[in-house]
Amino acid sequence: MNILQIENITFSFSKKTKPVINDFSLSINSGEIVGVLGSSGSGKSTLLRLIAGLEMPTTGSINIAGRPVFSEKVFIQPENRGVGMVFQDYALFPHLTVKDNILFGLSKLTKSERITRLREMLELVQLEGFEKRYPHELSGGQQQRVALARALAPKPKLLLMDEPFSNLDADLKEVIREDLGIILKKANMTCILVSHDKKDVEAICKRKIMVGKSL
Amino acid sequence: MNPDTIKRYIRKEFSGWWMISMIGAAVVLLPVLFIFFSIFTEPNENWYQIQQYLLRNYITNSVILVGLTSLLTAFIGVTLAWLIAAYDFPLKKYFRWGLILPIAIPPYIGAYTYRTMLSYTGVVQSTLRNEFHYQVDPDFLAVSSLRGAVFIFTIFLFPYVYMITRPFLENQSTAYFENARLLGRKPLAIFLKVILPLSRPAIVGGALLTVYEVLSDYGVTSYFGIHTIATAIFQTWFGMYDVDSALKLASWLMVAVIGVFLFERLLRKGRHYHLSTKSRPLTPMKLTGIKAGIATLYCSIIFLLGFLIPVVQLISWSILTFESIWNDSFFTLMTQTLYVATLSTIIILVIVVVVANVCRSQSAFSYTLSKIITSGYSIPGAIIAIGVLALFITLDNWLAPVYSSMGLGKAPLILSMSIAMLIFGNVIRFMATGYNAVEVGYEKMGLKFTEASRTLGLGKTRTFFKVDLPLIKGALFSGFVLTFVEICKELPLALLLRPFNFETLATKTFQYAKDERIHEASISSLLIIAISILSVIVFQMIERREKQ
Repeated sequence: MNILQIENITFSFSKKTKPVINDFSLSINSGEIVGVLGSSGSGKSTLLRLIAGLEMPTTGSINIAGRPVFSEKVFIQPENRGVGMVFQDYALFPHLTVKDNILFGLSKLTKSERITRLREMLELVQLEGFEKRYPHELSGGQQQRVALARALAPKPKLLLMDEPFSNLDADLKEVIREDLGIILKKANMTCILVSHDKKDVEAICKRKIMVGKSL
Repeated sequence: MNPDTIKRYIRKEFSGWWMISMIGAAVVLLPVLFIFFSIFTEPNENWYQIQQYLLRNYITNSVILVGLTSLLTAFIGVTLAWLIAAYDFPLKKYFRWGLILPIAIPPYIGAYTYRTMLSYTGVVQSTLRNEFHYQVDPDFLAVSSLRGAVFIFTIFLFPYVYMITRPFLENQSTAYFENARLLGRKPLAIFLKVILPLSRPAIVGGALLTVYEVLSDYGVTSYFGIHTIATAIFQTWFGMYDVDSALKLASWLMVAVIGVFLFERLLRKGRHYHLSTKSRPLTPMKLTGIKAGIATLYCSIIFLLGFLIPVVQLISWSILTFESIWNDSFFTLMTQTLYVATLSTIIILVIVVVVANVCRSQSAFSYTLSKIITSGYSIPGAIIAIGVLALFITLDNWLAPVYSSMGLGKAPLILSMSIAMLIFGNVIRFMATGYNAVEVGYEKMGLKFTEASRTLGLGKTRTFFKVDLPLIKGALFSGFVLTFVEICKELPLALLLRPFNFETLATKTFQYAKDERIHEASISSLLIIAISILSVIVFQMIERREKQ
């Protein structure tokens, strides 16, 4: 089943500058993990923001799970797109505990459903016992896993990850890369992962695409 | 853009948040538009008289006051900032923040304190006469003059320049200063050739604030009997009840303010320095011997004149009058002041929290919106007051049929006799104070948390309550204190817009002073000063937190 269908989108930050993304198309099927490679400034993070609805392209169309979220007449707000996103620096809410961060996107569920989902997520990312900690009390790797759990909890149709390893120490990176690959498979997630490092993409993604000048 | 893409754009951005922002902007703009359009109305007889005989004098006085005060505040503010930033000398640690304190004394309070102290029966002349048998030339100490007003404005407003310039010098001038020294220049030459030009934006910014204060002043100038455009606005309203002429005067003052604004733009044109933001703080050099003595003396004189002497004098007067003043009616005064200031501040914060949130997404629209919302601060209180007055009287005229159908009489002045008018004026005038504080809060948290919340399925409003609000709490608090203090201090606006028989601390203080009951004015003055020191403390807290 087709999860993401991007057709000919163009985006520039202002009318005066050259478009960062020009006539770009991409199609992703269910369960695929796609790596997006490119140098900094090539527009790879912008691509994720366009899919999430945090920015708006000037032309083209985007469909998510068969539903148009952007076209000439349509703009669906980010909160209604069913897309999860793991931000580059995780953006964990500093005033909320691990538990409340993960529960954040689950307000539509009943209370017992929420607790079940929280348990599942904590187990998935192996952070049982950390519920009451605040983000600043966690290591970089743990923060990343909380961010992942938070994004996966509402069961998004598509997960976007922006440079998920850029904030981690080099020696940790390999282990965490492996773990992430396992978690994503377990959750059977369709995922786009953006990185500037070829190794990240090769370790996790079956398919890779290049954006920007290096194309 | 075709209609469909415009619709799509609106769908992305539009929400209740925009609506509230637009209403906020309209609230600010409405009275200003009233003033603006009065330029084109047919003038009446009063106006011809004002124009023919008085206007030139008003304008001359205003220009002299603004010119001299801005030069002197710039001079004192910058020299002190440089001394404190670049040198170590005895007592410097205390002067560093002590030199901010004069800003806590509103100039009108300083004005009557100094005039009374220096009068024939005041403490200065009587001490000289009785202890030293020396009679001073009365003209020498005559504070009720242009000269005296310049002194008062300078000594109580120079902290604006000092407060902006000092952190700038301390944190951003290191590389340039050290390089210039390595190139073999002496400190004085470095100050003149490197530091002064580099800190020009900071100096001009601070001096501009003093210009706005002087232009909007009513307390000092009217107490000293100096006619300026602002005092003339009061006279035409209170003396002749001539709103049209007052509006016309206000529009003239508005032209002056816009002139100052454009002048500053012109000065800045083509001078965009890119300063290194990441810089080590400046290491101060130790002064010794006579140089250290001179530095300490200079700071001491300014601190004594700008804070300690007037405060000690006020305290001694307050001891004399404590029993007769500190009673029920004084508490009424305090609760009324608190009530107006708190209500105005809350309304301001609600509006600015919404507008600043809308303005986080950068666009030409949000830029314009933020400029409109903050424009009130550069508009003198008297102008805003006249604009609000004219607006409310017009509203009352429009609503007259409604009033009479409610059985309230034929053409009563309901709105323009109510406290709503004063609160409305405060909201416009001090929106910028709250806005700037809240904007800093939003800027510090960035957009990532908000965006994370949106991708987790929460809309703009729920995101605001669950994420944005808890994270800008600190900024909201400092915004509250700063705005609250400004409103407590404000005199011209309160004098013009308060309902009949409604007094605030500021208006009562001024009333006492005008009636030559100086001693009675001291307690409310001290209270205003104490409240103002609150905002000095908050400023210090913000600075310290930024350093960490």
